[in-house]
Amino acid sequence: MSQETLEPQQWVENYADMMYRFTLVRVKDPEVAEELVQATFFAALKSQHSFAGRSSEKTWLFGILKHKTMDYFRSSKKNISIDLTAEESDRIHFDAAEHMVPKPVNWNMDPEKAAENKELAQILAKCMKGLPEKFHRVFVLKEMDGLSSDEICKEFNIKPTNLWVILHRARNQLKLCLESNWLNAK
Amino acid sequence: MDGMLKTLKMTCKDVYPLISENQDHPLTFLSRIRLKMHLAICELCEIYRKQLEIICRITRSMGKDESKVLEDRNMNPEVKEKIKQLIAEKKLIRTF
Repeated sequence: MSQETLEPQQWVENYADMMYRFTLVRVKDPEVAEELVQATFFAALKSQHSFAGRSSEKTWLFGILKHKTMDYFRSSKKNISIDLTAEESDRIHFDAAEHMVPKPVNWNMDPEKAAENKELAQILAKCMKGLPEKFHRVFVLKEMDGLSSDEICKEFNIKPTNLWVILHRARNQLKLCLESNWLNAK
Repeated sequence: MDGMLKTLKMTCKDVYPLISENQDHPLTFLSRIRLKMHLAICELCEIYRKQLEIICRITRSMGKDESKVLEDRNMNPEVKEKIKQLIAEKKLIRTF
């Protein structure tokens, strides 16, 4: 088996756009995404000696990128406090008979096939940018990267009950955003 | 009977946060029963549950293949050129 080698001169050509997109679905600000990709290349350049050649160059670079993104999520966490009483409410209300308002609309879609719907995914990506910063980070780590509730609570130093409320509110906001942007466009 | 329904807490308002929480942690036995029974008889909450499932599935697939949602979004060519140059320079420093 041939040992994988690094070719830094080809990195930008081969991976920059891919890495940029990877980051862009995870952070809200395109400039931050650019900075993270750039920081990844430089960190990789510095630690070339640690590349053992067991994984591919691409896997190795993405590993560093994931770390950098996580560092970014952590870095400003102290500046973003969560005050759940002051933040957005559930956005969904209940009438006197305790039924949901607004009434949920049937999207007429098999959830198992939902991931194939490109149009819906694009609108969801836009809706996600509208989430408050901290909600966005928590939601990305939980739903996009599949971190466990325990891991996220540790990262952000929050209680599980707070995490559930954050995710619940994030989901409600996304649901309502999809309803107004997707169904109305049809 | 009233007392029992109260204990079961079966209105939409009571049950609906559990639909989301069910994706985040194992519910207690009582909550699980409440949720199941409610969803079986309440069409609107079942629609809501499906909506959250759809959002969950799309987000997960987005995490696995971001090119699906971002298609041709590329990095600014000027920034790319700058990074390329910096990599080339650093490479030189390392060699000499």
